[in-house]
Amino acid sequence: MSEVQTPTPAQSGANGTVLSRWLVRPEAPALVFLAVLLVAFSLSSDEFLSGSNLESILVSVAVLGTIALAVNQVILCGEIDISTGSMMGLCAVAAGAVATSTGGLILPLLTGVAVGALAGAANGLLVTLGRIPSIIVTLGMLYALRGVILLVTGGTWITGIPDGTRVLGTGSVLGIEYPVFVLLILFVVMEMVSRHSTWGRNVFAVGGNRRASRLAGLPIDRVRFLSFVLVGVFVGIASIIYLGRAGSVQTNTGTGLELQVVAAVVIGGTSISGGRGSTLAALTGAVLIGVILNGLILVGVPGIWQDAVLGALILLAVTTDVLRRRLLGDKS
Amino acid sequence: MSAATAALRRLKLSREVVLLGVLIVLMVVMSLLSPLFLTVGNLLNTSRFFVEVGLMALGMTLIIITGGIDLSVGSNVALVSVAVGFSYAAGLPLPLAILFGLVVGLAAGLFNGLFITLLDLHPLVVTLGTFALFQGLAYGLSKAEAVSDFPPWFAYFGQAYFLNVVPGQLFIFILAVVVVWLILSRTRFGRYVYAIGNNEEAAHFSGVPVRRVKLALYSGIGLLVGMAAVIYTSRVYTARGDSGLGLELDVISAVVLGGASIYGGSGTIGGTVLGVLIIATLRNGLVLAGVPSTWQVFVLGVLLLVAVFLNEFFRRREE
Repeated sequence: MSEVQTPTPAQSGANGTVLSRWLVRPEAPALVFLAVLLVAFSLSSDEFLSGSNLESILVSVAVLGTIALAVNQVILCGEIDISTGSMMGLCAVAAGAVATSTGGLILPLLTGVAVGALAGAANGLLVTLGRIPSIIVTLGMLYALRGVILLVTGGTWITGIPDGTRVLGTGSVLGIEYPVFVLLILFVVMEMVSRHSTWGRNVFAVGGNRRASRLAGLPIDRVRFLSFVLVGVFVGIASIIYLGRAGSVQTNTGTGLELQVVAAVVIGGTSISGGRGSTLAALTGAVLIGVILNGLILVGVPGIWQDAVLGALILLAVTTDVLRRRLLGDKS
Repeated sequence: MSAATAALRRLKLSREVVLLGVLIVLMVVMSLLSPLFLTVGNLLNTSRFFVEVGLMALGMTLIIITGGIDLSVGSNVALVSVAVGFSYAAGLPLPLAILFGLVVGLAAGLFNGLFITLLDLHPLVVTLGTFALFQGLAYGLSKAEAVSDFPPWFAYFGQAYFLNVVPGQLFIFILAVVVVWLILSRTRFGRYVYAIGNNEEAAHFSGVPVRRVKLALYSGIGLLVGMAAVIYTSRVYTARGDSGLGLELDVISAVVLGGASIYGGSGTIGGTVLGVLIIATLRNGLVLAGVPSTWQVFVLGVLLLVAVFLNEFFRRREE
């Protein structure tokens, strides 16, 4: 797909086979892992491979996947964003408040996207102009935004989201449920942006070698700033899907989501140190998490083990990434 | 050269003086907000709450000086708390259960350290992973249940009073401050810590055993987390899977507020202790003033951002 073409031995010229060329793709291990899991779960549980279960997995990862597509760009830049959980909560609160007073889809959607973009811009400004490491900025924002949610709602739930707003979570088009449809559309858009736009290419350059990018005259601050704003916009869209699915907003909406998002991106194969990865990796990672959580429930593992599984997966993913690069002789 | 170091020394001193000023102003404001604040009883009682954060902040200071970070400390508190409570509930004598808890804390830290050094991974990613892993293990192993039928003497660690006024754990904290301060400022190991933070590659080529130092630091903070978790569990007299949730924010904020650069290379124990005191005063004062605890998290989040911003702003002006 759109990974940076690093000159590894397997890729140099015609002596690389199709298989070895495919294996150096960032998302290759995740896709293999996904295939293995699909076989394993479908053998151990009859319901797993049914069409409705597979679609419900995709629906369940729509929010996660949408946000992961954007956070993927931030991580490709060599930065990180762990504020998305609280940001999603705030967008859902704002969009929910508008929805209950006006109804309809467009106005709540615009509100959610605007609030998300503002929060993302705040992250981006603090990282670029403030020169504070993104982990600290977004850690601070994770807590600060949760505080804003409590201030705005006063601790009460927002309920009774009108059906007109919920269409993005409950309706379907061409036989595909809307959440899946939106996720796939955004995936295609990000794939195009990542491959064919100047910004999309700059993201790889800035993440791959920031110093070289600056010396080459790339606007590294603007590239990074835009990636943080993009996260806000996608979180805004995701919050409308969430509203549609849940029908209400609690003060703890989105708690812990930031971890799943980062997990999805790195499990999919985008390198946490930036510059290497693909849009397909983020999508694969999100689906993989959905399959694992769904499969564990079907196999009978209690839900309280979710966090442990997620943590183990993150560690497994980064280890695989390091070992694979050492194996391929890529020192970068 | 010597003039430059003298100027640097003055600057470091002035940062701590500024922090002390902030602390005093904060105390004045809080005593105006609540008549209860400036009483000996309350001030000593406050120390009950900051010892846990303080112990972890000591270890975190050294880690941040090397340019690293540990996001997993809050989850590790939960893991140790569950290890102590549930091994006791399963029939292990309490002294052994406490020892087991300390070993679990140390092992968790060692696990972080091994991952970071053997795979050359950024501590941020590893500890983000173990943040979820430790939390999940604590939830899963405790089956989301709580243990609180400890024998009365267990309360000694977190609720004892010395001479009826001074909380017992304050002595543990003071001892830990002195030990860590000596290690950082008076030993070769301490110089290694600064050397790694200033330029890891240069330190490596100068013969600093970078990996061993890092391994020791992450294991060390694991042990400090273990101690903090035992005190925490004793103070609330309950072992649960959500003990210590979010404590990493307090710890990192305290260290950064104390002047340690998040980019590594600078930071002092004195600054961190002041940072811990400021955060404790803020939290206690906000409680007395009737501000809900959720708002305190907001204040802390903003405080962290402001502190880092000011740190880096002044650092750039120096250069």
